[in-house]
Amino acid sequence: MYNLLLKEIRLGVNPFFFVLPFITGALMLIPGWLYFIVPLYFCMITIPNIFGGYKSQNDLMFTSMLPVDKKNVVKSKVLLIVLLEVLHVLTAMIYGKISLSLYPYLDYIFFKPTPGFWGLTLTMLALFNLFFISMYYKTAYKYGAATLVASTVAVLFAGGAEWLGIQNEFVYNLFKGSGSGDVLTHYSILLTGVLIFAALTFVAYRIAYQRFKKVEV
Amino acid sequence: MIMLDVKNLNKKFPHFQLRDVSFQLPQGYIMGFIGLNGAGKTTTIKSILNLISVDSGEIHIMGKSMDKHEVELKQAVGYAFGNVDFYTRSKIKTLTKVYKTFYDNWNEESYRHYIQKFKLIEDKKIAELSTGMKVKYSLALALSHGAKLLILDEPTSGLDPAARDDLLDVFRELVQDGEISILFSTHITSDLEKCADYITYIHDGQIINSAEKEDFVDQYRLVNGKVEDLELIKDRMISYKVTSFGFTGLILTENFTPSAAFKTGIPNLEEIMIYYSKREAAHV
Repeated sequence: MYNLLLKEIRLGVNPFFFVLPFITGALMLIPGWLYFIVPLYFCMITIPNIFGGYKSQNDLMFTSMLPVDKKNVVKSKVLLIVLLEVLHVLTAMIYGKISLSLYPYLDYIFFKPTPGFWGLTLTMLALFNLFFISMYYKTAYKYGAATLVASTVAVLFAGGAEWLGIQNEFVYNLFKGSGSGDVLTHYSILLTGVLIFAALTFVAYRIAYQRFKKVEV
Repeated sequence: MIMLDVKNLNKKFPHFQLRDVSFQLPQGYIMGFIGLNGAGKTTTIKSILNLISVDSGEIHIMGKSMDKHEVELKQAVGYAFGNVDFYTRSKIKTLTKVYKTFYDNWNEESYRHYIQKFKLIEDKKIAELSTGMKVKYSLALALSHGAKLLILDEPTSGLDPAARDDLLDVFRELVQDGEISILFSTHITSDLEKCADYITYIHDGQIINSAEKEDFVDQYRLVNGKVEDLELIKDRMISYKVTSFGFTGLILTENFTPSAAFKTGIPNLEEIMIYYSKREAAHV
């Protein structure tokens, strides 16, 4: 398992994608921006590039020849995705903190980068994983449709959440008004986000493994 | 010991079918797996490596079922796919560093030995290697993890005659100790005449014959005769060609009764393949 993950990092993924979170994360410094876009860069840039690389380098064939369990093949790719997502979210969180201290009196139209917002971000990525990972493993090499569908779901979730944040007074208050300082509620949302992320990613992995067993290389 | 035992493989695709594919490769020998393009060589090899799921049939390597012991058996199998490249922009040393972590019996000394023997430069990228060098690199990897069965899919296709001959010498050397066995698919039959011990011939998804090379060839005769005598033998032949000088056809030795009207000769592997494909064309 560990050697497969190492293989992804050494061979499969260009180091650029480990640096990218530090660049996209810096977009959190734009005052009052639509911060959902920051993690969406992962969905729309990192994912199709990495999986396009796998396809062009015949990774499926290479990996299938190795003495490894099919379960671990899927698990290592899912772990890689999670690893990069966590990196994206963590760096964005740090930049978010800086952003909050840079502009303490800003009126936010879109979500303020509070802990609760990161809970929503993780829920968005959880939905992305559910759709992308499970769809990708129908073939284990076609990534286009899976990326498109999963990104669309993520964008719809982000759009819906932002819409609610503007239209609904309670949500508005919680994320941008007086409630944005409510540490307990916000950390509860963050924790819920973490749990949803873990649960949906695990479900995605289970579906992917069942599908991958039937894939013909 | 039987190194590779393929029993009654069946696999149906929309436009192609493997039908009842069976053959055995004893330890310490080279088996040439021949057939025209699209005959089912790569599909059979993929089935052996469990890359595609078969509808029915069994694969045993060193007596163990591939289905149940896939991970363990893959430790003992080395492969080279002549036409498929992996991670071509990576350097040899990078790929090796990753590759070796998967094998319990990786022997660094042996790897160094083969790298030197095959004159591979570790700083070169896979894309910079010639076709022959790529096959040699695959062999170096396979031999360094102690593979006992080498499965090579068209390793000599695309090589110049000198590189092919060089590679065939390597194959012969490898099986010398009787430990390693090689299954080697190709449509370049002259390679097999130089180095194979056994021949398995697949045609349109079916095994036509699998036997020791000499026995394999001995089962066929090339028959020459005059056009007017063709009717006497026509139905017993696998197929034939008619020219202005008469006819030439392939026949199973057991179906041939010597006669003054016909001249016979021993066909080579290529002729056997050609006449079988002509039979197919005649039936269409």
